[in-house]
Amino acid sequence: MKATALSLLFALFAAHVHAEDIVVIVNPTAKPVSKEQIVDAYLGRSAELMPVDQTVGSAIYTEFYKKATGRDVAQIKAIWSRILFTGRGQPPKQLPDSAAVKKIVAANPNAVGYIEKSAVDATVKVVLPLD
Amino acid sequence: MKITWKPAVGGAVLLLSTLPGHADASIDQYLNFSGFGTLGAVYSDYRRADFTGEYLQPRGAGFSHSVTPTPDSDLGGQADLRIVDGLTGVVQVISRDNEDGNFSPHVEWANLKYAFTPDLAVRVGRTLLPTYERSDSQNVGYALPWVRIPNEIRYSNSATHSDGVDVLYRFKTGSVTQDLQVQFGRTSEDFSGAIFRGKDLVVLSDTVQYGSTSVHLAYQTMMYTFATRPPARFRLASAGFTYDPGTWFVTGDSNFAHYDFFGDFYAWYLSVGMRFGQFTPYLIYSTEDAPDASPPAGLTMLGDERTAAAGLRWDFAKNVDFKLQLQRVTIETQHAPASFNLVQPGLRVGDKANVLSLTLDFVF
Repeated sequence: MKATALSLLFALFAAHVHAEDIVVIVNPTAKPVSKEQIVDAYLGRSAELMPVDQTVGSAIYTEFYKKATGRDVAQIKAIWSRILFTGRGQPPKQLPDSAAVKKIVAANPNAVGYIEKSAVDATVKVVLPLD
Repeated sequence: MKITWKPAVGGAVLLLSTLPGHADASIDQYLNFSGFGTLGAVYSDYRRADFTGEYLQPRGAGFSHSVTPTPDSDLGGQADLRIVDGLTGVVQVISRDNEDGNFSPHVEWANLKYAFTPDLAVRVGRTLLPTYERSDSQNVGYALPWVRIPNEIRYSNSATHSDGVDVLYRFKTGSVTQDLQVQFGRTSEDFSGAIFRGKDLVVLSDTVQYGSTSVHLAYQTMMYTFATRPPARFRLASAGFTYDPGTWFVTGDSNFAHYDFFGDFYAWYLSVGMRFGQFTPYLIYSTEDAPDASPPAGLTMLGDERTAAAGLRWDFAKNVDFKLQLQRVTIETQHAPASFNLVQPGLRVGDKANVLSLTLDFVF
């Protein structure tokens, strides 16, 4: 029994370390961006960058917000509800996958997105690894 | 809060919505619909007055009914329009228990916004006033950590919206962001039996954001008329703050209001909450005090009361939360305590009301 519990714990731990690393990306022509600017963009505090999202509730979405902002999905929704229903802005556009995020970031000099580290290619520039 | 629809603004929005937008690389949609709502139920054990969700509501729980859905239930719908780059429009209609005791919808927001740069914009039309930290989203339950904004902080302010023009300017100094807002307009609110009209309304508001900390400061002034009284001056200053690093929050707000006719009002609240996964328990203390000095109206201590509340927000599903709030209100005046209406003979200073509120908030 003890051994089962222990191996389960190990399995969970292993799964955690092997969870894919997420990186924040911008256009290759963009100036360097700080973590603070990224957090401000995704929490609707700044309009200097154009953030794009992955599907709300997807693993990468949940992981990104937890790591970058320390907030969970419901808190993010509450923050953007306040911004939306006071006419101050729209939440980041949701895109279906990392390929779609790369496409938008590669085409917009002020766009910012997040994808799996393994999905990075020359069309985008990594500004912040999240681990 | 009966608000007459301004055909000019509505017409402009409709007209502009038919214009073709410019094709560009942006990924925004031209028209977005969204909405929010709350299903609520309130129980009060105090029989000598009705507990309400805001001072304009004529009825609530306690005297008329022991349980009622009216204080917090509402439904709002919004259309966001992107006309051309930089020019956007928003119309929000909301149905909520009003001064007539019905849910007839009114227009909460209806304005056109032109952004000269991402940080400088001008808006024309109707907006909610930034009187206190959460006044511009006071009816969006899902965006609030509690069942409702404390009644005490709402009480000292008679106007919730402005029809006019405002300028929004955002600037950064190091890691400090400031959102400045200057607003000019007029307003009106229906109370049971009399109309409050305000003109020459000027509001200055500054929201300072530094990481997880934000501070909101505002000053508001206008000339108002109420019922058959001659015009008088209204002034309000407010200061609030929030510190929310994610796992917990502390927030507070305060205001001082002066009416030439009704006198002075002080109100404040303080609240803390902790987040445990889907659960966010919280505490609130709030109070309103109109000092004893006799104003021309002759009604001293208008609204006086204090409230201690404990509650829980449960984010149990996507875009939906459930909240439960228990509060004890101590009545400190016989003249319209802030949370109550339909005051009955026998109400005494020092009386306590125990109120239980349940809400289901959603956004779509």
